[in-house]
Amino acid sequence: MATTPEPSTILNIEGLHVSYPVYETAPVRALRGIDLQVREGENIGLVGESGSGKTTLARAIMQLISRPGRVDSGRIEFAGRDLSKLSEEELRAIRGDDIAMVIPNPRTELNPLVTVGKQIANVARYHLSLPRKEADAMAMAMLDAVQIPDPKRRFKAYPHELSGGMAQRVVMAIALICSPRFIISDDATSGLDVTVQTQVLELLQDLVQQQGASMLFITRDIGITAHYCHQVAIIYAGEIVEIADTASFFDNPQHPYSVMLLSAFSHNPKLRGMWSKPEELIENAEAGGGCLFAGRCVRASDTCLKEHPKMRSIRPGHGVRCHHPVER
Amino acid sequence: MRVLRYIGKRMLFIGPQLFGITLVSFFLVKLIPGDPAVMMLGPLATESTLAELRTEMGFDRTLPEQFFIYIKNLVLHGDLGTSWQTTRPVTEDLFLRMPATLELITLGLLLGLLIGVPLGVGAAYLKRGIVAKFSDYYGLLAGALPDFWLGLVLIFLFYTILGWVPAPLGRLDFFIIAPPTVTGALLIDSLLDGNWSAFTSAAGHLLLPVITLGLISGGPILKMTQSTMDRMLESDYSRYEEMCGLPKSVIVRHALRNSLPSVVTIVSVLYGFLIGGAVLVEIVFSWGGAGQYAVQGVLNADINPVLGFVFFAAVLSLIIYLIVDLIYFAIDPRVRG
Amino acid sequence: MTNSQGGGANGSTPRRDILAGSGPRADERRIDVYLSRLRYLLDVLRARPLFAVGYVIVATVILMAVFAPLIAPYPPETANPDDFLQSPSWRHLLGTDATGMDIFSRILYAPRIDLTIAIAGTAISAVVGSLIGATVGYYQEVGGVPSFFSGFVMRSADVLQAFPVFVFAIALVAIFGQSLQSIIAAIAFLNIPIYLRLMRSQVMSIRRMRFVEASYVAGTPDRYIILRHVIPNSMAPVLAQLSVNIGWSVLLTAGLSFVGAGVVAPTPEWGSMIASGFQNIITGQWWPSVFPGIALAITVFGFALVGASVEVLADPARRRAMAGSMRERRVKEA
Repeated sequence: MATTPEPSTILNIEGLHVSYPVYETAPVRALRGIDLQVREGENIGLVGESGSGKTTLARAIMQLISRPGRVDSGRIEFAGRDLSKLSEEELRAIRGDDIAMVIPNPRTELNPLVTVGKQIANVARYHLSLPRKEADAMAMAMLDAVQIPDPKRRFKAYPHELSGGMAQRVVMAIALICSPRFIISDDATSGLDVTVQTQVLELLQDLVQQQGASMLFITRDIGITAHYCHQVAIIYAGEIVEIADTASFFDNPQHPYSVMLLSAFSHNPKLRGMWSKPEELIENAEAGGGCLFAGRCVRASDTCLKEHPKMRSIRPGHGVRCHHPVER
Repeated sequence: MRVLRYIGKRMLFIGPQLFGITLVSFFLVKLIPGDPAVMMLGPLATESTLAELRTEMGFDRTLPEQFFIYIKNLVLHGDLGTSWQTTRPVTEDLFLRMPATLELITLGLLLGLLIGVPLGVGAAYLKRGIVAKFSDYYGLLAGALPDFWLGLVLIFLFYTILGWVPAPLGRLDFFIIAPPTVTGALLIDSLLDGNWSAFTSAAGHLLLPVITLGLISGGPILKMTQSTMDRMLESDYSRYEEMCGLPKSVIVRHALRNSLPSVVTIVSVLYGFLIGGAVLVEIVFSWGGAGQYAVQGVLNADINPVLGFVFFAAVLSLIIYLIVDLIYFAIDPRVRG
Repeated sequence: MTNSQGGGANGSTPRRDILAGSGPRADERRIDVYLSRLRYLLDVLRARPLFAVGYVIVATVILMAVFAPLIAPYPPETANPDDFLQSPSWRHLLGTDATGMDIFSRILYAPRIDLTIAIAGTAISAVVGSLIGATVGYYQEVGGVPSFFSGFVMRSADVLQAFPVFVFAIALVAIFGQSLQSIIAAIAFLNIPIYLRLMRSQVMSIRRMRFVEASYVAGTPDRYIILRHVIPNSMAPVLAQLSVNIGWSVLLTAGLSFVGAGVVAPTPEWGSMIASGFQNIITGQWWPSVFPGIALAITVFGFALVGASVEVLADPARRRAMAGSMRERRVKEA
């Protein structure tokens, strides 16, 4: 009996700590000991609220944490290579070529003085060492692949002439043109109309699957992950508090925060109220050394305030960081 | 087509602006004390000759009447009056002297660009190195040095001590015959005339004043280039380009292109300023430029040269700003709409 | 307030008050605030020692102006024809000029005139320009007569700034006669548009901010809003501009004197000193012109540095970045 080989791990993050020093106060700890593995061909969704560290993680993977922020400790391995040990030149070769990022609200990130076609072509030109004409042709093909109508005309358009949805597709084209093995989508559809959002997400997933690439799908909208991801990870205050296969997660969410996120969509106001604390009662329990979520948690006990919970496996493929996970 | 419409719209404003400037300068200059009739005829002139002259020159009319006559002459005949110091029409004087100033300023600013832009780009790119430190000091120093003093120091070093340059007495050696005037710029005219000795003489005389202006104007150009490049390199799209793994040279090149509007702005501001502001350097080098002409006019209550100079300078400034806006048009697609 | 769900801490932790005036942090003494500002200044100065040099220069020049009679070896306007054009020696530290006056003494006395003119001129233009600019900026978008007035003021400023600066300055001095007051007036006049525009753009952006709207809606008189809310928040770039402006005004005064439209000889002033040494340079006596120029350059340099430091200190983001890197270094060394 032939055994299908386990897909190998393409991205391996261990114990990643990132902080930002602030003048005259304690540094802001953006990431606290992140452990994450992504296998080849897999999409993993990362859900968290603003300030939870999602974008910091994305930038850390690409080794783009800029001063004054710094990586305090941890490893990031991509296809077996320790990214922190690579030279600037080697990193430059990887960015855009092996690891690419799709960003939200791209109008300010696209160069206003260069046509969008050229911006797509440039990535191909420099990474694949292509002559200008070939790169342009590739870019044109890419514009087609991301379903931008009338690609010949749009090639010569400038970023300010595009709508939000089209600019988003351009940025996708830039990310995918070199067929990267790993794609980070950082909240890539925020700010788009819902219908456009769906189109863009479907397109992204198609292209990623076609190329056999893996994706880290960062979002604030937990519902999306159900359709597009194999695994779901929930991040809060710089820590991963729950990580599970999608089916297992939506079947049986364990962490109170996860349940809170899911219940926010509920039509039942009582259900919503059950899992979130009223504004006046929310406390900042960080100084205590316990669970970071304790101040907002409706299930918090004294243990939660004193002892920091570790990630443990509730069942195969489902881990949670909580003293009192929600058991069905 | 859009370009022509844009220029047309600007043209509409030029008229009133020039009118406003001429109006203000007329009444300003009229406030300068000093009886021109006495100055022209000397202290021994009799009262009747003075009165005659005053009537002839129109000084006995009311101020608004005088202004109206001035405007009439200007618009209908292109006549800016006569300077009683040089006894020539102001237009003639200016046609001689403006090109001298313009040649000097243009070359000076070109040198300023050659110094300021590379240093500014280098300082923004290599944030910590020796280039950045040097640019820092240079930028501050260039803004602090008096330009007339720098000219004197250069004369002392390169003429008095080293004797490498000709004496600072104007644009040409006195024994050289000037080439026929085509543009007024000696370098160009002598080339057109094939007059090699005039060319070398003019170049030699241009050397020090151009270096003076270039070193001083290089400061603000450097600071502007550096701060704009810094901003561009920190901008969202520069970071995005880095995220896409584009080579550093491409990122810098794009940032530079995006910084061009600011550089163009500062050069145009400097240009407008130097038309009148180069007067001190002109005096030091006995250049016979337009600024000197106007200053002499003010000090001697010779009104027409001053008015003529202000008018001319305003026209030039407006033309420069128009050119600058056209450049913005060409560089920035967002302006084109 | 009772907790209805599950465990949770008892509510004994102190509440964070909404009004900053009351609550636990109001106890912080004002002196602590000033001390922390001072710490900022020192950290910034240590991060960029050049700024400290600027402060030293400015202090030195001011001391020179004040204590000149005590330091100068010779009276500044006494000409000793026998001693003319002596090169620097122990008797005359920086030499003498064509009329025999000691250059060192004259350099020491010169800041009295230059600084007086520059500081007075800049102060007047800053106050007048800022007030007009703030008013214009405040009423710009209101519409009706006030905004027409704003438009008129701005067009006038445009016309004024289209004038060749130097010719304009000389014309003003010629009109008002060659005196200290007229030079001050000329400098003030020339600089008003700068502060006018600066204040105007600051005010226009501050005015849009919520707290100003709140005050407006509450019925506070415009005058009050402008003076108490808008102007204090717009001050930062104006303050940074002041020092640089003073330096530039000193240069302009020197230039005017050089042309003969500024300070009257034999009053010691750096520009006129350079002018009187003009001819001598070609014949090789460099000291009458070179030394005053160096003094002038150093002074302007100092003011420019102080201005640059004020710019950094006034912007919270920049001063934190600069002071912060200094802190890091210190922590590492500790």
